[in-house]
Amino acid sequence: MAESSSLVSKMDIDEAAIDEGLYSRQLYVLGHEAMKKMATSNVLIVGMKGLGVEIAKNVALAGVKSVTIYDPDLVTIQDLSSQFFLRAEDIGKPRAAAMLPRLAELNTYVPVHDLGGRQGDEITIDLIRGFHVVVLCGVPYKKQLEINNWTHENGVHFISAETRGLFGATFNDFGPKFTCVDPTGEQPLTGMIVSIEKGKEGVVTCLDETRHGLEDGDFVTFTEVQGTTELNGCEPRKVTVKGPYTFSIGDTSGLSDYKAGGIFTQVKMPKILDYKPLRDSLQGPEFLITDFAKFDRPATLHVGFQALSEFHSRYNRSPRPRNGEDAAAVVALAKELDADADEKVLTELAYQASGDLAPMNAVLGGFVAQEVLKACSAKFHPNFQHMYFDSLESLPNTLPIEEECQPIGSRYDGQIAVFGRTFQEKIANHRQFLVGSGAIGCEMLKNWSLMGVGSGPNGIIHVTDLDTIEKSNLNRQFLFRAKDLGKFKAEVAAVAVAEMNPDLSGKILAKQEPVGPATENVYDESFFDDIDGVTNALDNVKARLYMDQRCVFYRKPLLESGTLGTKGNTQVVIPDLTESYASSQDPPEKETPSCTIKNFPNAINHTIEWSRTQFDNLFVKPAQAANAYLSEPNYLESTLKYSGQQKEQIDQIVSFLVTNKPLTFEECIVWARLQFERDYNNDIRQLLFSLPKDAVTSTGQPFWSGPKRAPEPLVFNSNDPTHLDYIIAAANLHAFNYGLRGDTNSALFRKVADSVIVPEFTPKSGVKVQISDNDPVPQNTSGGDEDAEDLTKNLPSPSSLAGYRLNPCDFEKDDDANHHIDFITAASNLRAINYSINPADRHTTKQIAGKIIPAIATTTSLVTGLVCLELYKVIDKKNKLEDYKNGFVNLALPFFGFSEPIAAKKATYGSVEWTLWDRFEFKNDPTLEDIVGYFRKEHNLTITMVSQGVSMLWNSWLGKKKSQERLAMKFSHLVEHVSKKPIPPHAKHLIVEIMVTDDTDEDVEVPFIVVRI
Amino acid sequence: MSVSPAVLRRVMRELNELENNPPEGIRVQTVDEDMLDVTGIIEGPEGTPYAGGYFRVKFKFTEEFPAAPPKCWFATKIFHPNVGGNGEICVNTLKKDWKSTYGIGHILVTVKCLLIYPNPESALDEEAGKLLLEDYQSYCDRAKLITSVHATPRTKPVEFNKPSSVDAESPAPSSSKDTSSKAASPSADTATPVASTSRLPATSLATLPTSLSAPTSISSTASMTSLSVPTISRKSASPAPQMSLKASLTSEKEGLTMGPQKERHPSPSPLGTADANVGKPGMGVGLGMASTAGMGGVTGTKAVKRAATGSGATNAEKRKKALKRL
Repeated sequence: MAESSSLVSKMDIDEAAIDEGLYSRQLYVLGHEAMKKMATSNVLIVGMKGLGVEIAKNVALAGVKSVTIYDPDLVTIQDLSSQFFLRAEDIGKPRAAAMLPRLAELNTYVPVHDLGGRQGDEITIDLIRGFHVVVLCGVPYKKQLEINNWTHENGVHFISAETRGLFGATFNDFGPKFTCVDPTGEQPLTGMIVSIEKGKEGVVTCLDETRHGLEDGDFVTFTEVQGTTELNGCEPRKVTVKGPYTFSIGDTSGLSDYKAGGIFTQVKMPKILDYKPLRDSLQGPEFLITDFAKFDRPATLHVGFQALSEFHSRYNRSPRPRNGEDAAAVVALAKELDADADEKVLTELAYQASGDLAPMNAVLGGFVAQEVLKACSAKFHPNFQHMYFDSLESLPNTLPIEEECQPIGSRYDGQIAVFGRTFQEKIANHRQFLVGSGAIGCEMLKNWSLMGVGSGPNGIIHVTDLDTIEKSNLNRQFLFRAKDLGKFKAEVAAVAVAEMNPDLSGKILAKQEPVGPATENVYDESFFDDIDGVTNALDNVKARLYMDQRCVFYRKPLLESGTLGTKGNTQVVIPDLTESYASSQDPPEKETPSCTIKNFPNAINHTIEWSRTQFDNLFVKPAQAANAYLSEPNYLESTLKYSGQQKEQIDQIVSFLVTNKPLTFEECIVWARLQFERDYNNDIRQLLFSLPKDAVTSTGQPFWSGPKRAPEPLVFNSNDPTHLDYIIAAANLHAFNYGLRGDTNSALFRKVADSVIVPEFTPKSGVKVQISDNDPVPQNTSGGDEDAEDLTKNLPSPSSLAGYRLNPCDFEKDDDANHHIDFITAASNLRAINYSINPADRHTTKQIAGKIIPAIATTTSLVTGLVCLELYKVIDKKNKLEDYKNGFVNLALPFFGFSEPIAAKKATYGSVEWTLWDRFEFKNDPTLEDIVGYFRKEHNLTITMVSQGVSMLWNSWLGKKKSQERLAMKFSHLVEHVSKKPIPPHAKHLIVEIMVTDDTDEDVEVPFIVVRI
Repeated sequence: MSVSPAVLRRVMRELNELENNPPEGIRVQTVDEDMLDVTGIIEGPEGTPYAGGYFRVKFKFTEEFPAAPPKCWFATKIFHPNVGGNGEICVNTLKKDWKSTYGIGHILVTVKCLLIYPNPESALDEEAGKLLLEDYQSYCDRAKLITSVHATPRTKPVEFNKPSSVDAESPAPSSSKDTSSKAASPSADTATPVASTSRLPATSLATLPTSLSAPTSISSTASMTSLSVPTISRKSASPAPQMSLKASLTSEKEGLTMGPQKERHPSPSPLGTADANVGKPGMGVGLGMASTAGMGGVTGTKAVKRAATGSGATNAEKRKKALKRL
């Protein structure tokens, strides 16, 4: 039994300790519980071709106790079509042994073993003993049945999987009583309630018409119910949904009368699955439907894959690519099992049986790896039981002939078998721009490298990413290693995939310039003219929208994708055919009203949002303002004047630079102690003074009720860990502002904090200014200027502090030593205690405060595979909507959904129909008058407004003089005149939007205008 | 910031509309070099302590607009329960109730409504909220003082030299036109049923109907259709105008709905209606309306509700008197 020697020392790692730095993003998907279970599971993966290595990679990245691989067969050149951990020099070596070191590098916490064996040796029951999960890749059904019979009896989770060209299949048998603890992976639903009916139905009504989101059969429990207190912390009660705001919890007639308040919380109930062994499941299969447009396909593929296996055992080879005779044999075998199976599909399956495509392996490999994690952790709902997937639509419109698909002893033979040599050349000479080299970017480059995208004489891959590599990336951005930390992502990724496929050496151009208006000199017209399409691998909407806009303008196909935990989506944008990314946007998450954050929090995310702002208000903005005052000559006059808060800001600068400037760390502790008093005691008392606990609204309702929770001031106690955590974090951050050395010795903090003399606080009642109508109204001034001027006298002159600067904090969520998340956690929890909200741990707080998007390699792998299946179509220049698919997946459920892209919306002006892909073009820098005249003369349309970028160049209500002046200007001059900025020298055109009316004075929508200058 | 052409197009359209047909008491200032640098000016509504003032509201559009609301804040100091010290405005329209069909005009009309009907229950400035609840007179005095100091220019902003759409257009088929001019205020007893929401132009908010039980009439709905704010969307799924109005009301819980009132004599109900968040089922604005569909409608429910809860009445008297003196 061979194993990677570098890891021996790591093998005794404490299983309970999870490296949160490395696993950060994945922990937000799986949770600590699931990951702890994974850390006790040994996984065996058999068959180390493209699919096996994809699964092994994803499982190793995710982190299990150990990954063991088995494949003693010798590496062939064809393996390189999809096996990214094998190289040309490995040809002739045993597969598992050859790839082992590269797999072992992925995750130092996961030991990787090779079961060894001799060429031709099949896996045996003896070899699989001791593993919790066994995955068989590309193993004949006969062998699968033998192994599965044993695993089913012995409580071992069994998965089999294989891909054949554009077809894939996988099967799960997790035993007769598999308990899945969290079937959806969604956060438990919770909400406030306003009534509980007494009776057989027991209808519960939610507060404020908030949708409860529950479904029939869900379970809930309650807290904070007044009156019907029996329900607080009750055993989960089964829900029947009555309406969007109401649900029944069954008989409540024996309970006390409801008075007020209460919160329902969903309880996740474990689900027990009864898996059939493969021998039974082959007869009576249960399918996961992956595409509702292909409803009959699973049944056909179910017998098709069995027929292929039978063919292989009869002839000891796969059917030859696009060979009619072999295909007929496969069809006949399949028809023996199911006479209704679709012959066309079966024939295509047989044609492609020797095909081996990186994108299909990525799709299946991502899916199966998640199933492995489900088997280990019981988190999420596993596949029950067969899943078949195909992307037959990816075949070129002109199908290759048999001769075209024969192996030629090339690393691309697996792809040539499906697409033919001519199409392989198209792939090789394709020119793509990959925007982003993070999680999706790495997977994309891996797939492209295996596919040979850009490897031909005319091919190219541009990749850009402004980011450098961080530790939390290593958990899924698998082209990066610990030694690469701090280096540019795009560069490291380009080198890594060129090593994977040397044909790409010199063919990947890595850049650091982010895409955006500032880099249009880099990504200019000639750049876009020179590429065939764009693939986004981005993590933010802003950049996605920008690239979408550029692709629309330059009329380039765009492949778009994204992931969120176990969810992923893909979108294809094709010029003149589909709508663009910007055409339909997901609504962003609704923000919480500011008064809820400021005065009436009722959930932990409210207090976290508050404390995140508090972090800025205490440790970022004051130091920035003081620095701006010291370094910008007219800061007070210019910036402050328009802030509307001049006095407050000057006060703050005076305080930070003069009156409260600490000279020692102890003074920082004092400052923190007083800040504690202000935020968690005084402000709360002031609020309660203004709005006492017994306050009523004008309708006589108690003011503090429903979502408004009456707060309670905190009394500082240095023995309370949350109190002390706050002091420690706040004092250290304050010290950082002044460049003072921090400390974390809690005894010191306790001592200093307890000795602080805290001034007595009396709530202010000074707002009752009594003036009558007869009082003279103060003269109208610009407001409080005198005050401000007085205050500025207290400011030291910038010259007296020449060179002195404060250090504003730069929020960084992933540095565990910088006290940032510590502060936010403590501050949020103190406020939560003020309002009797359940506090949250550091990990949860970090996600919300840092707006961390949960991420896991499995989803990325799958989504990227789907994108590449669409890339085949883009390369083929398919031009019908039904040729393309937008995809939606959720590995937790698991769920696949596909839809045709939405057609570009048609609009009309006059008798002309147009879409977002159309435009007017004007050459030679015309005057605005020329353009106005053109529309009037040619289209009988009157321009009422003209804009370029954010500049409003002309409108119908502009004064006559201005209007005439502008109409006469050359367009470039006009733009510079209005925008007051020069047009950058690289700009060869301007994009102009106009509003027009027709002869009946009706607004008409017309395409945008391109003005060549 | 790069804003998509579609968004710019939308902003253009809206600015054009606001320039040509501004809602009563609302104007926008634009800057040629940056269309997105929009400043709204709201004329302090008559009959409120903000009368005579002109309040500037700044907009900042994010790249997610219109899917996400723009950032909005008062650039003019104001004493108001729902406006924070930094000018921040607490109104659900700008947060959880945002819809991508809303725009600049809708926001400004909503904010103007907020000046007429402050919502102390969701106070950002809890001192103002407290005063409003406990001592209406003091609240008014204070708000008036701040208005006179910070918001009252010597001459009214030039933007207001141009008539608003309601003034300019031929008489609208509803009562709302009357209200635009102070001189032509309808008699106090004019029973003009107007179901109110922030969706209505501010002009009709100033028309304060007295009829407590009159059903939401078609005429008031018609006045909505003559609105100049282009981004107003209505759930038009239901065939009857009344129904659609209710649908839009229930869909939008801004705490800004109001009851029937007399011109320049605000009744206590505005505050009473602000508790949609805390009401019991059947009491809340939305539920109340739903249950009275086709009957008394909004106004009826309010009346019942107010009658049922007496405690607000004394305060209300005070407020009424206070406002009379203004």
